[in-house]
Amino acid sequence: MNFSYNWLQSFFKKKLPKPEKLAELLTMHSFEVAEVKKFNRDWILDIDILPNRGPDSFSCLGIAREISTLAGFKYIADKYELKEDKGIKARDFINVEVRDKTACSRYTARVITEVKVGFSPKWMRERLEACGLKPINNIVDVANYVMLETGQPLHAFDGEKLQDRKIIVRFAKEGEKIITLDEERYRLEKEMLVITDAKKPVAIAGIKGGKPPEIDLKTKIVVLESANFNPRVIRRASKRIDLKTDASWRFEHGIDPNLTEFAINRATLLIQEIAGGRIAQGLIDFYPGKVFPKRVKLDLDYVTSLLGIKISHQEIIAILKSLGFKIKHLKSKIIEVEVPTFRLDVSIPEDLIEEIGRIHGYQEIPAQFPVAALIPPKRNLDIFWENLSGGILKEAGFTEAYNYSFISEKDREIFRYSKRELMEVENPTSLDFQYLRPSLIPNLLKNIEKNFRDFAEIKIFELGKIFHHPKTEKKVLSGVMSGEVFYETKGTIDLLLNKLGVSNIWFDEYRPKPGENKLSIWQPKKCAEIKINHEKIGFLGEISPKILDSLKVAIKVSAFDIDFEKLSKLTSEEHEYRPISRFPSAVRDIAILVPREVKVAQVLNKIYDTGKKLVRDVDLFDIYEGGELPAGKKNLAFHIIYQAEDRTMTSEEIDGLQKKIISALEKNRTWQVRQ
Amino acid sequence: MEKNNPPLRIIVPGRVFRREATDASHEINFYHLEGLMIDKDISAANFKAIIQDFYREFFGKPLKIRFIPSFFPFVEPGFQVDISCLNCQGRGCSACQQSGWLEMMGAGMVHPNVLKNSGLNPKFWQGFAFGMGIERLVMMKYKINDIRLFYGGDLRFLKQF
Repeated sequence: MNFSYNWLQSFFKKKLPKPEKLAELLTMHSFEVAEVKKFNRDWILDIDILPNRGPDSFSCLGIAREISTLAGFKYIADKYELKEDKGIKARDFINVEVRDKTACSRYTARVITEVKVGFSPKWMRERLEACGLKPINNIVDVANYVMLETGQPLHAFDGEKLQDRKIIVRFAKEGEKIITLDEERYRLEKEMLVITDAKKPVAIAGIKGGKPPEIDLKTKIVVLESANFNPRVIRRASKRIDLKTDASWRFEHGIDPNLTEFAINRATLLIQEIAGGRIAQGLIDFYPGKVFPKRVKLDLDYVTSLLGIKISHQEIIAILKSLGFKIKHLKSKIIEVEVPTFRLDVSIPEDLIEEIGRIHGYQEIPAQFPVAALIPPKRNLDIFWENLSGGILKEAGFTEAYNYSFISEKDREIFRYSKRELMEVENPTSLDFQYLRPSLIPNLLKNIEKNFRDFAEIKIFELGKIFHHPKTEKKVLSGVMSGEVFYETKGTIDLLLNKLGVSNIWFDEYRPKPGENKLSIWQPKKCAEIKINHEKIGFLGEISPKILDSLKVAIKVSAFDIDFEKLSKLTSEEHEYRPISRFPSAVRDIAILVPREVKVAQVLNKIYDTGKKLVRDVDLFDIYEGGELPAGKKNLAFHIIYQAEDRTMTSEEIDGLQKKIISALEKNRTWQVRQ
Repeated sequence: MEKNNPPLRIIVPGRVFRREATDASHEINFYHLEGLMIDKDISAANFKAIIQDFYREFFGKPLKIRFIPSFFPFVEPGFQVDISCLNCQGRGCSACQQSGWLEMMGAGMVHPNVLKNSGLNPKFWQGFAFGMGIERLVMMKYKINDIRLFYGGDLRFLKQF
């Protein structure tokens, strides 16, 4: 909010610190000053008033009060003495009726007659402009000026344009209409508070004045309104009609109901000074529940304990007094503090401690380590497995990505997710973020699209949450690799799981359950389920060309998708030390000719099944198709590593086992081991 | 806090979401790190020591810290925590808009209502809470000028880490 330095100066006899210096004082003790800039012969301070301090500080007076405490200067607080004209009575000009005292806890009005509407004086126009307001005429300008000065919004009506000299404060009727001062039309609803005359709405309460009783050059009788409206009522209406004004913004933050009278007297006096006229006798004041100051007990030891700095009792009391609080001593270390009604933000001891701390200066608080027993934290296994898995993939050449937790409607169509399985965002920032992601794959594929022109080889993984209807979330680990790399992807999973200490890995053909449509993403013949012991933990395969086309990815891509929660559970259970064999291992190679559709995993599984524990490991080192091979066949070549845990295997034993494996493989008539 | 008894020392990192227009310093999802310490006699001075140590370790250089008044409904008093500008050591430069300070996070002493709602008696327990954006920390450490790079999936960016 913008404040004029000269205007603030006018509250003090003493010269204020220079603008920059003043800004620093305010920043350190009250509110951050975002900017200080020169404006004609003035400076503008852009002050970020904290939302809880709105009630007392959205005004020059409020900032002047802060400055008075910080600089130790007394500020000039005038009491405005009005000269009422005993010949005319306010109640003869206007009759106020408030129908809801919760929505409007106070309504004050004054009447000034025989005014001369015209321009406001230069000094007032300059101050309004410095604060970003446009001067209109002397009556409206006074209302605005006093709002900026005191924080109390005011409104001026032309008294002769109010039907039957009535002002009624009530909730609108559904569908009632109003044209505001800026000639906008609004349709009102029944939870919006309005000011009406005998017939029609003349203002949207606390938000904007209406056109009909507008002050114009012919106006003779001014009816001034200074009221207190319920913050929630104003916020709701302002949001509903999408109209925020200087007034609504102040009412939304709450205002001290005791302020209306001070402000209306100030404005009345200014109008008389500037526009002449007579002040009708009597303040019209609807104020059924007067607000009195709160009292808060404060234990002075608690001040020290919470802030961690010793501030003398004398200083504590001086600080509170300088802020307008009144002190009563109860016991030696306990005081009772009376809080002025304009400090809507102060109601508990901690609020007072904040006042003491900030005025004394938070910079004075020493950095002091707590004295407490150190208890080592429990090991967080989730983080352990995440870091370990991420590390393994990074060692394998992967880059980790963090993608948005959302997918778009277009993505939904491409990946053929049904709306029923997705969590839809009610009020998305943009159409790109319409659904919570049901898989990490869509965004990972987009990563490929973004990068494949610049990088020959792409390997990216992400570890993150996915979401499904109704309200379920799950952590998954997914990765994508560019190129003709189905087997490398498989190898990556082998590597990952082995390093995580899982040995019983199976790749199984995918048999869709009725109603499943996974194959819309995957290439039917080049995909597999990943299983540990017989439990399915994920999926891998080539991404279908149709999907890649839709995403404009012009290269082949393989991907994997692992339920990380399942994996880390199985891993935790399985992570067991296998003693390192003291006995040597031996390697034998095997090459086998199989029909093209046979999966590597089928061959591997056969080898492991036959060799049992003595086959320590099997590595696929070559796949060959075409050329001199018979049509429809492919050649697979493996290293088989033999090792026993309790003895050195003889070469006879190894050869025997190798033979056994060969005959097991050849039981399948279409498989042919090449010697 | 509801499930455990004090003393409590908690840090919680996690992905958070905001509905706002994105630009170089605003994102719709990012990571936040929230922390909390509750004990019999934990003060703002304790928080200052801990957080100052954290920043010195994280950035690997000596720096100063300051609290300025701020407001968050779940703490009282509330602070904004600033560190002396890493770029100019507090002399004032374009990175800190000539102020010499960088805004790092919001913090404060846990509001008694928060303690009450967690089943703790504010007469016996007190402490501090804080929350900071992780991307912001990383941006400062590596001089990254656009938060959107974190979620853009651009390998030219990602491969540097």
